[in-house]
Amino acid sequence: MPWLRRFVNTIRSSRLQRDIDREIAFHIREREDELRANGLPADEARRRAGRQFGNASVQRERTRDVDTAVLVDALLRNVRLALRGMRRTPGFSAAVVLTLALGIGANSAVFSAIDAVLLRPLPFPDSDRLVQLTQTQPAAGETHVAPIRLRDWNRLNSTFEGIAGYFTSDVVDTSGGLPERVLAARVTRGFFDVLDVRPAVGRTFIAEEHLYAYKGPEAVIVTDRRWRSLSSDRQVLDQPVRIGNASIATIGVMPASFRFPAADVGVWTADEDDAPWGQLRTQTWYTGIGRLKPGVTIEQARADLERVQASLAAQYPDTDRQIGVRLVPLKETVVGSTRPSLWILFGAVSVLLLIACINIAALLLSRAARREQEIVVRYALGGSRASVAAQLLTEAGVLAFVGASVGLAVAVTATRALRLLAPELPRVGEIAIDVRILLYTMACTVVVAIVCGLFPALRSTRHMSVAPASARTTTSTRQSLQWLLVGVQVALSVTLLAGAGLLVRSIDAMSRVETGFHAERVLTLRVSGQYGFETNDATVQRINRLLDGLATYPGVESAAVTSRLPGIREQQEQEFVLSDAAAGPSARVVAANVIVTPDYFRTLHIPILTGDACRRSPDAGGVKTATTEAMVNRRFVERYLGGRSALGVHVTGGLDTLVKNRHIFAAAPSQIVGVVGDAREDGQDREPVPTVYTCFSAPHPAPWYVIRTAGNPVAEAASVRRAIHALEPSRSVYEIAPLESRIEGAYAQNRLRTWLLSLFAMTALALVCAGVYGTLSYTVSLRRREVALRLALGALRRSVVQQLIATSLRIVCLAAACGLVLALLFTRSLSTMLYGVTPTDPATLATVLVLVMVVAGIAAVIPATRAAFMSPMRALREE
Amino acid sequence: MAVAKNDILQGTLTLLVLKTLASNKRLHGYAITTHVQRVSGDLLRVEEGSLYPALHRLEQQGWLKAEWGVTEKNREARFYSLTAKGRRQLAVEEDSWARFTEGVGRVLRYV
Repeated sequence: MPWLRRFVNTIRSSRLQRDIDREIAFHIREREDELRANGLPADEARRRAGRQFGNASVQRERTRDVDTAVLVDALLRNVRLALRGMRRTPGFSAAVVLTLALGIGANSAVFSAIDAVLLRPLPFPDSDRLVQLTQTQPAAGETHVAPIRLRDWNRLNSTFEGIAGYFTSDVVDTSGGLPERVLAARVTRGFFDVLDVRPAVGRTFIAEEHLYAYKGPEAVIVTDRRWRSLSSDRQVLDQPVRIGNASIATIGVMPASFRFPAADVGVWTADEDDAPWGQLRTQTWYTGIGRLKPGVTIEQARADLERVQASLAAQYPDTDRQIGVRLVPLKETVVGSTRPSLWILFGAVSVLLLIACINIAALLLSRAARREQEIVVRYALGGSRASVAAQLLTEAGVLAFVGASVGLAVAVTATRALRLLAPELPRVGEIAIDVRILLYTMACTVVVAIVCGLFPALRSTRHMSVAPASARTTTSTRQSLQWLLVGVQVALSVTLLAGAGLLVRSIDAMSRVETGFHAERVLTLRVSGQYGFETNDATVQRINRLLDGLATYPGVESAAVTSRLPGIREQQEQEFVLSDAAAGPSARVVAANVIVTPDYFRTLHIPILTGDACRRSPDAGGVKTATTEAMVNRRFVERYLGGRSALGVHVTGGLDTLVKNRHIFAAAPSQIVGVVGDAREDGQDREPVPTVYTCFSAPHPAPWYVIRTAGNPVAEAASVRRAIHALEPSRSVYEIAPLESRIEGAYAQNRLRTWLLSLFAMTALALVCAGVYGTLSYTVSLRRREVALRLALGALRRSVVQQLIATSLRIVCLAAACGLVLALLFTRSLSTMLYGVTPTDPATLATVLVLVMVVAGIAAVIPATRAAFMSPMRALREE
Repeated sequence: MAVAKNDILQGTLTLLVLKTLASNKRLHGYAITTHVQRVSGDLLRVEEGSLYPALHRLEQQGWLKAEWGVTEKNREARFYSLTAKGRRQLAVEEDSWARFTEGVGRVLRYV
């Protein structure tokens, strides 16, 4: 294999060179010996032997070229040169490598997140054929699907291999020492077939287990994690799971990769979709998933289901007339919410890398100018343009390669940090630096090397061919190229700064918004409880007893129970039926549904505007016999009652979730007894919606407790926990945290995005600062003689400084204007992430411009001042 | 010393080297030069410098094998010998040389 030998020779070039030298030297000595033997004197023999051989060094070169891979050899030589150059200018090289390492590392890290979250398919077979199905209603928007309707869709369609449904709820796992909350998914028949996953151990549910009439033992499928935490032998199938006080047989274990419908799902149980409470077409609680037949597009499936739903509407006009079908690719429902954020970050980090490259290109350009002498010599010695360009490109390539290698370490750290900082990000566990990311980084490196190296390479080869060694005529054009590069950096960083500024302003605006309730000093927690563990009345009594006990506790001002936490996004709007004398017996309205105890309003400082706080639901009889009371917010009254008094109106629907969870069979209407102020319970950034607060103590066996404490809620947490333990020794207190930190947590992604974009923008600004400084220093060094002359002729130092700064600022100003145009294009893509500011917010944009000008001005001051305060005589003498 | 009039044609050098090494087992570069000169009765002279690029090229092609050895005068030299592949190549080169001279001869004989 000659090429292999050549390659080896190329790498071990010094040894090859020595061998060739020895071989040729031997030849010449033999000849010399022969000539001496023929009677020539020694020196004459040596001379003639040499002459007869010909040009030994040329032959040595030619022999060497035969033995080596010439291109590889040239590359290696250039790399060696570049490395030597790096060692000679350690400061410069370290700065460049560090800049590139951060740029490439951040880029690869963000790309790894995009790859894992957005680009890779979900971990199910043929997951692109999976869609989520929900139903829509003109008034309520998107809602869950009624079980009976989902079955109709599955039966009547012709484009799906199958449609199944699920819903999730918390259950309490009492298998271990302490009661533990577990997220349970109740799934319909065909759920695992639609997803096309098989259990790692055991089986999935059989059809009979999904029947209401099924009398066999209850069955549960557990996660791989739970299985491993218990014991990793196959005996798991014999071990029952204790949920509440029921012991349920484990029939299967799902593989570790299967975490559907939520990352924290713990168990799957079989739901009975033929149960009597599931036969009402108005009762909705399933989320549907369907697998399309091969080759069917989502549009075809949508048309098909719309046809099915139209026929259902004809059959059941009362309930189905206004129902629509919504199909979304399953992957979109998992990761769709993060898509804009991730792409924005990727865009930002790519712009940052571009700025870094341009910055380095400018640096290399001025260095190439300083090395003019060296390049001139290379031309003079017969170096070709290609070889000089290749050497300059190799230098950039070596810098980029070293930068990228360090950058990979940065990326590994950054992805680890991302996993810590954004635990809520969907599929965050799948983010890793793997072969795909390595390939991406390599591609990045090549692009970076070309962007960084191309300007200097082209520039120095071009001007050499035109006018060798006339440095003074060429510097002006090179300088304008450098200022152009500075301008591009300024424009791009204005864009980044504008985006970051708008996000910061949004967060600021959000924190100033009047939420309508007070979250400070409120502690939130849950006390374990579970369906099927006690009667409905017993749950109500238990919760009431605990609330009464807590109210007398010294550190507690007031305590209440709620079905949902205020201030955190959780779409809970649903249909209610209003019955009042004026509107007729059954007007349908859509409102947010919250189930609370009366002290909720006092605890959260939500003012009661008219009427009184509702009374607590009675300890016994519950919703079956007594009429519960309800409160509504002001918006509800404005939207649905048109100025009439809300008091005395009856509203039905608030307790439907209890029906769904089989807590009760049917809910009686509730009477509205008061109106409260509007509170932003669905998130600070969302307008309050019409809301019905139904007063009932047991929305759930383990509802949220909100407790207003006298002092710091964190400090009170331990004593509150002890107080609850004294009242309920057999139950566990969990998810205990101040409400404020929960609300903050709900906006963590928002803040992280803002924080990262600001970081990138500030880094860009720092690079611009360095760019202006470096370029002006270079300009000054070229114009040293001119400045010295002017000073010698009596120019004021101040005017010299002013002039130099003005030169820089003119360019920065022009570039910032261009950047503003770019920014307006870019910030439009942010519009869905903004709150309280428009994408063209003049104050933000003006601030960004001022900031860039100030920073550029400061960067220009030092080189300008240094130029003005030099000694003119020395500078003139130097030349 | 007389200047060599008969410069060796490009490509002929390969044939000469291969043939030389076919009749002598192991030779260094200098010996190849003297052998060609002696056997051709001083009619042919190898241009000494260009011998080494040629030798290394033939080695890269796998026709020659080279190894360091010691001469009778106890000097280190690089000795070349023919490989099996080189022997086959020699047959090819001889054949094409024969056809070449035959062709040139016919042209010269034509009146």
